[in-house]
Amino acid sequence: MAQASLAVDGISKAFGETRAVRGLSLDAAPGEVIGLLGPNGAGKTTAIRILTTIYAPDSGSFAVDGIPYTKPSAIRQRIGVLPESAGYPLHQSGEEFVQYFARLFGQSRKSARETAKTLLAEVGLAERAASPISMYSRGMRQRLGVARALVNRPRVLFLDEPTLGLDPAGQRQILALISEAATERGATVILSTHFLDEVEEVCSRVIILNRGEVIAEGPVADIKRRAAPRTARVRVPEENHESALSALKRAPGVGDAQAVNGGRGLISATLDCPDTNAPIRALLGAGIPILSFEVEGGKLSDAFLALTGEAGE
Amino acid sequence: MTTLTPDVRREAASQLTAGAGGSWLVIAGQELRDIWLSARGPAIVIGTSLLLSLLTYLAASNEELNIIDQRDTVNLLAQITMALAVGVSLLFTADCVSGERERETLESLLVTPVPRGQVALGKYLAAVSMWPVLLIVAIPYIWVLREGDGVFADAMLGALVVGTLLVIGFVSLGLLVSIFSGSNRLSLAVAFFIFVLLLAPTQLPLGGWFGDLITQTNPMTAGSTFLHRAIVKEHGWGEDLDLLIAPAVWAIAMTGVAFIAAGRLRLQGSFGR
Repeated sequence: MAQASLAVDGISKAFGETRAVRGLSLDAAPGEVIGLLGPNGAGKTTAIRILTTIYAPDSGSFAVDGIPYTKPSAIRQRIGVLPESAGYPLHQSGEEFVQYFARLFGQSRKSARETAKTLLAEVGLAERAASPISMYSRGMRQRLGVARALVNRPRVLFLDEPTLGLDPAGQRQILALISEAATERGATVILSTHFLDEVEEVCSRVIILNRGEVIAEGPVADIKRRAAPRTARVRVPEENHESALSALKRAPGVGDAQAVNGGRGLISATLDCPDTNAPIRALLGAGIPILSFEVEGGKLSDAFLALTGEAGE
Repeated sequence: MTTLTPDVRREAASQLTAGAGGSWLVIAGQELRDIWLSARGPAIVIGTSLLLSLLTYLAASNEELNIIDQRDTVNLLAQITMALAVGVSLLFTADCVSGERERETLESLLVTPVPRGQVALGKYLAAVSMWPVLLIVAIPYIWVLREGDGVFADAMLGALVVGTLLVIGFVSLGLLVSIFSGSNRLSLAVAFFIFVLLLAPTQLPLGGWFGDLITQTNPMTAGSTFLHRAIVKEHGWGEDLDLLIAPAVWAIAMTGVAFIAAGRLRLQGSFGR
């Protein structure tokens, strides 16, 4: 059986009448990057705050690295957190900031200095280590936040919207750091974000929350396949419409085929397999010329909209 | 569900178990640097020095302007130093938690393994540091104005005892208010209002049973009266020990309540969000 660094079993949290998180469960293995997705108010930040011991769950339980949630101090020794809106003491230098947190995790002065030096180099801030944080750009501050979250070599790293407000280059740097934390340090990363392309790039699994509930969970490819099946739109000559329809319906890897808006010559075919060329092969094999061909759907954003849209209805 | 197996042999195990026993010292050190290496602490010291210099100059050099005697002036300097230290320290702790909430730095602190009580203790000690510094600043002025045997010693010792009790109590009050306040503005306003409310009676002519009651129970009036009697009326220490009861009870009670509340320190405040 796989060893879970994070095991969550049905946690729930309500604020008054509002149920922010309902029955969230998940298991995460070391080195795994899990995307936590959901529209605004879905419960992502609340879920992270429960798992980082800021809030106590109303029901359910969780454990980090085998430590039950009833021992928050021990859990805090094993997690790294970049909160959604992390503030920074602007008068401190990046080096002082990371050293301070390293010392709060029990490191000696000397060890904290070394930790700060190493981490700031890893996040690309070595040359600006002595500059006050007030002189840092937003991207640099986020990288500093990641460095701070890594001071204790966390088993589980929680990153809440780490790339919000960053330019593409800044986003790329943060994503690279996330991947490094997972692959080189073996940390489990829980990444809460609005940016679906980020999730597709770095996450092995996603959890989609809506109104506090998990509405989809699994590998990115599975979610996409389940919630947003790819569809091929094919245009053939009008006289070949019927033969094209029957050829596509018989073709392996094509789930269904039907005329679009009753139009003659325009056909929509649902793809059941990753091979997007299956309809093309079927039509050409039947001797039917293809006037146009395009594949739609199959993106995480389509799945996200489909799932959260359905849930909202 | 997969099985959780704690892996105690991992490379950073020693660090993880290092504990956070002395974290209050780390926090206090950082807070002290924030106060004394930034503009805040030095500015307060310079401001206090200027105020005490002016009063001392008027009292010592200009007999026409000096309408109160030297003992009264020494008492006035001691009382002003004490009130400034109490007020400033109170505002430091009133800002210490709610200010971090507002600057969005509290969450990062709360996810470290440092117990909440130690977070509060570190910030508390840094705020208290204002008092000994201001008392030291007052020494040369009180020395210059001393007149008669024992005035300097009475003033310094009296101020040290009364001021310490009051600073401890009010710093704890600031901490308590800050822990529960949802906004920094609310925290500073409430703390300062309570300070002014308790300070005001020291400037009022209090008489009759109600006046006595206020004098005995309000830590500020009790402390102020004690100091006045020790410096101006030359009472022996044993004569007015009952006046130290209110400041002592205030200090002990507020400290106890504040540190119990510190264990309940939350990301969000309870009031005024």
